[in-house]
Amino acid sequence: MPEVPGAMPSGAARRPEPLTLRAAARVQRQVIGALLLRELSTRFGRENLGFLWLFLEPALLGGTIGLVHHLSGRGLPGGVDVLSFWVLGYIPFFLFRSVVNRAPVAIVSNQSLLYHRRITILDIMLARDLLEGAAVLGAMAVFVLAIGLATGTWPEQPAKLVLGMALMLMIAHGIGLLISAGSVYTEMFERITHMVTYLSLPILGSFFMVFWLPTEVQEMVLWIPTVHCFEIVREGQFGSAVPTTYDVSYVLACAALLNLFGLAALRKARRDMVV
Amino acid sequence: MIRLHALGKAYRVHGRMRPVLSGVEATFHPGEAVGILGRNGAGKTTLLRLIAGVEHPTSGWVERGMTVSWPLGFGGAMHYSITGADNARFIARIYGKPVAETVEFVDAFAELGEYYRMPARTYSHGMLTRLGFALSMAVDFDCYLVDEAVAAGDSRFAARCRDALEERRGRSAILFVSHVPDLLRQFCTSGAVLQDGRLTRYDDLDQAIAAYQPA
Repeated sequence: MPEVPGAMPSGAARRPEPLTLRAAARVQRQVIGALLLRELSTRFGRENLGFLWLFLEPALLGGTIGLVHHLSGRGLPGGVDVLSFWVLGYIPFFLFRSVVNRAPVAIVSNQSLLYHRRITILDIMLARDLLEGAAVLGAMAVFVLAIGLATGTWPEQPAKLVLGMALMLMIAHGIGLLISAGSVYTEMFERITHMVTYLSLPILGSFFMVFWLPTEVQEMVLWIPTVHCFEIVREGQFGSAVPTTYDVSYVLACAALLNLFGLAALRKARRDMVV
Repeated sequence: MIRLHALGKAYRVHGRMRPVLSGVEATFHPGEAVGILGRNGAGKTTLLRLIAGVEHPTSGWVERGMTVSWPLGFGGAMHYSITGADNARFIARIYGKPVAETVEFVDAFAELGEYYRMPARTYSHGMLTRLGFALSMAVDFDCYLVDEAVAAGDSRFAARCRDALEERRGRSAILFVSHVPDLLRQFCTSGAVLQDGRLTRYDDLDQAIAAYQPA
């Protein structure tokens, strides 16, 4: 079957067919669908505990911090349950970290796929990150459910939980594209990415709320797009019980810029890379 | 038809760009079986990679008027962590082929037996070559890029490859690279010689072999 619809029958003279946008979109859907299925079985297959870790890490880390706060007797303003506050606050970071940390090896570990001209690096990244987003969102839903059953507090605006996570995914995806493109040129990214994501944990917004900070510091941290994502998620869960500050259009603009530069970098890297 | 427009490729070696191909011009039509001769290191594999789009040229471009396979040889193009059958499913989905039929076809063609349901990383050299070749036959490309490694396997499978390629000759083009003229005689009708980064076409394979020998 010809790759391009409407190609001339075999044997006849062939002209290069212009690949219509629709045909290109169909190919990309096919490819991303196939990559998703494969990624699903290799990452979350029965033989490894990938999916278990999705629940364990936020529960352990968020739970520990929550417990420390609980034991130290320091409550949160607005009567917010400490444990659920820290667990939910950790999940967006968890998404950010797993997308960004996997970026340096995204190309190397899928190099053999680039034998297929139909598969682009962007397809590979999209499939990985969409799956990661869906998986972490699923884990979040389980935590929200557990919190609701245990404390009787249900999300005030569930759509905002999804919005905050979606924006976080877009930001992380853009950074991931840049890192994966960089990894074609130097191994440095492989070495430092994990460390940098951990070191930046305090400033990304997981462990503070904007209204806790002095005004001048607030202005500074609001330059960091991920901070807005945490605020959105918290508003989604706790509503007006906690004052939140965020700007969706600012996050979207940051995500668009990161993705744009990421795509440009990938385009250059693909030309230069030795498969 | 495939047309190479002033195709060039250079690799960075110890900080310096070392040209492998420069200004390669050629046209390949459906139904042609072209044997490309070149010594080790002449850039045969690089040429196939560029035509396949696995790597991008440093200069010039490849015009593809037909669907082109990935370079067939040992390895590449598949997943080593999943089974041969899962590879067939994956390829079917990527290229929009019916999944069940593809799995069956590859099973019959590659003759991997029980290994078909084992991870590809457990396969021998020859088995990987067979799987790769079978996968590409299942996709049914207009042009096949074949590395001599395919024929290097067991002779029975080499004969099957020859038959499969022969059967497609009317509609598919075949570009076969090798440094062994005798291999090309089994597969090809016309020839070309890759030397000093340039490709010279010959209408007759024997002419190409004659031009290659003294080199």
